[in-house]
Formats: sequence, structure tokens, C-alpha cells
Amino acid sequence: MTEARLPPEADLVLLNALVDGELDAPTAAAIERRIADEPEMGKAHEAIVVTRAALARLEREEVGTRLLDRIESGAGISVPASPQRQPRGLADWRAMAASVVVAFVMAGGGGYWLGATRPSETTSDLVASTHRRSLLAASPVDIASSDRHTVKPWLDNRIGISPPAPDLAAKGFSLVGGRVDVIGGRAVPTLVYRHNEHLITVVAEPAAAGTSGPQSKQADGYNMVRWTGSGFSYWAVSDLERAELDGFAEGYRIATGVTAAPEP
Amino acid sequence: MHEDQPATRFRELVVPHLQDALIFARGLTGNRDDAEDVVQEACLRAYAAAGRGTVLHPRAWLLAIVRNTAFTWMAKNRPKAVLVLGDDAELDRLAETADAAFTDTPILTPEAELIRKAEAAAVQRAVDALPAPLREVLVLREFNDLSYRQIADLLSVPIGTVMSRLSRARLLLAISIAEAHRD
Repeated sequence: MTEARLPPEADLVLLNALVDGELDAPTAAAIERRIADEPEMGKAHEAIVVTRAALARLEREEVGTRLLDRIESGAGISVPASPQRQPRGLADWRAMAASVVVAFVMAGGGGYWLGATRPSETTSDLVASTHRRSLLAASPVDIASSDRHTVKPWLDNRIGISPPAPDLAAKGFSLVGGRVDVIGGRAVPTLVYRHNEHLITVVAEPAAAGTSGPQSKQADGYNMVRWTGSGFSYWAVSDLERAELDGFAEGYRIATGVTAAPEP
Repeated sequence: MHEDQPATRFRELVVPHLQDALIFARGLTGNRDDAEDVVQEACLRAYAAAGRGTVLHPRAWLLAIVRNTAFTWMAKNRPKAVLVLGDDAELDRLAETADAAFTDTPILTPEAELIRKAEAAAVQRAVDALPAPLREVLVLREFNDLSYRQIADLLSVPIGTVMSRLSRARLLLAISIAEAHRD
């Protein structure tokens, strides 16, 4: 084993900033050269990296039901169960799918998942659950952008389909971003809009040509609007009030050129 | 324009970040039970505040509430514990002591191999033994995944202070983990 003296603190700070991804490219390149060339810098860099790895092996504190109960009774409110965050670094949608399944089973919704007999209702429940889950996640979107020209290609690259993402900012609904959800075993593109502090989840499943809806419903305590058009079946779900959510759906349908059909 | 219900706002603003709040509180207090007490009290404060004004960055907002709560909670319930969160003079003294230690003593870089073999319990003990100002920055970076800028904003310190505290925290950790495994 070779022994190396510790580099000066100014260099240690730079090595730490490098492993934290906080350096601009030229500075990072210069430090990387020194790590390669200077044994002391190389050893110090390795020590920082393995220390971080040791910390990463520690278990993160999880919010248990006991704490949730205490918070609920203290504030006199109801907190949704299982505010478990996705494990870090699981951006892959298959891993997301796994966590969605786990969330459903933990929330007691496994019966819907496993023994569905009424497909349309089940899908609504699943859409509501995915909306609820997104509110509990660290971020409601996997691609955060108000630019539909960023969100659509991202979805296309991920799963090969992307619904229209109209700009509804003029109506008070700004695009937050997109993500991929897994509904009934299928990966579907999801858009997220914001209205004031409220999020609207728009799940879009590819559908045959034709239009139907809009159909207003409720699922799992959330307001929901369902319609078909422009090659997709849509579910928009939010805790927005009914009139506001209907206004959003109408704006979306107009912007995507869907002719509203009367409900059967 | 309808008025937001505090319970709704609480669910939107606070609930998604409860785990971050607990991780941070655990780092500040040093143990799980105290952390839960702090998080519960922080939630009460957050609930009372959730109805007022607009919260642009809910996680940072909640972490700031947790930090303030931890400070007063520890002062009341753990008066003997050293939790210097707001005392700048104390932080400066600590920093000077650390500087002196780094410049006067020739220190060897801890052996990576010893750290690789370290068990989780030993690593956790080393984290808990860090001086509070260093532990706080380390936890925010490693366990809460905050950027340097976010940490600097939360603690109201210059970004350079964040960088030097984090660097020292990791070095002290590396040294104490390696020492524990040399035996």
C-alpha cells in the first residue's frame, strides 16, 4: 500500500465539487487531468468516491405508518398512505412500472389490478392512482419542460408514441412536463399541466379513429374527464374543481381539433 | 378564484416531501425518535403556514421549517446536545479549529480499501459523530440530493462555505471510517 499526503484544502474542495457534478466542463477537465497525473490527487479522489459509496449503502429513513398517524392526529387531517418515494436512480420506465405495482398492492388496490372485471372503471381507478402517486413522488414528471417541442420528442424516444401537447398557457394551464405511466400493463404517455397550484395529469392511450365524450366522472376522490379523439383515448384527472377541469378538457379538445360529440 | 383548503395544500406541498423532511431531521438530531418528533412538529407548523401565500419551492420551504423546528426542539428537549444551527460565531470558531488541524498536521489520505470494507453501522456512527454544521451539509448533499446552491440558500451561507464544510465532512468521515477498520 502506498501512502499519499493529503492535497491542500483548496484542491480537496475542487475534487469534491467534481464528484458532485458542480464544476463547469473546462475546470472539470483540468481536475481530471491532475487526478490522472498526480498520485496525491488520485488517492484523494478515490477516498472521496469510496466514502460516497459507503454513504450510499446506508438505508434511507422511511416514513412509516406510525409517523403518518401522529401527523394526521396532530394536524387533524388525513394524509394519504405510503408516501414512499421511488428509489433514487430508477428513471427507467420498467422500474417505474414495478414501483407502480408495489404502490397499488400497498394501497390495497391489488384487487383491481389482478381481478378486473369492469375495464373502463378499472382504468379510471388506475389513472386516478397514477395521479395520486405522482403527487407523492419527488417530481410529478420525468421530463420537466413547458416546451411541447421538448416533451413530445422525449416521449417518442421513450415509448414511440406522444399525444398532442397543446399550449394552453393562455387559458391558464401551463405545461409542466411529461412522464411514462403504466396502466393495466401498458406503457402510456402522460402529460402534466398546472393550473395555479393544482396539477392535471393527462393520460393518453392510443385509440382507433373516432371521437367520443367528454364524459365527466369521479375516481378515488379526484375529478376526471374522459374523451377520445385525435387518435388517443384521454383521461384528465386532477383535484381541480369540476368546472375548471372541464374547462381544461374543452381547451385541450379545441386545441387538438377534436369535435365534441354528445354523450350517448 | 376559489380558496385552497389547508388540508389540500398540505397534501400537495408537504406530503410529497415527508421523506426528505425525515432524512434531514434524522441528520440534524442524530436519532430516529427525535427526528420523528421534529417532523411532526414541523408538519404542524407547515400546516398552519400552508394556507398563507404562495410556496414556490415546497421541498426547500419544508426543509427550512424542519431546520427551524429542530433548532427550537433541541434547545428545549436536548439542551446538552451541541446543535449549533444559528450561532455564526460558534461556526467560525469551529472552522478555525478545523483549518488549524488541516494546516499544522501532515495528514495522509485515508486508504480507500479500508473504507470499502466498512460496515454500514460503522459508517452511520461516523456520520452521527460529525460536528453538527458539517453533518448538516453532508446530509443535505448525500441523503437529500440537494445541489450546492440549494444548500447555500437553505442555510443562508455563501456557496464557498458549503463547499468547504462538505469537503471537511467527507474527509473527517473517511478518516474515522478508515481508522475504525484499521484495528
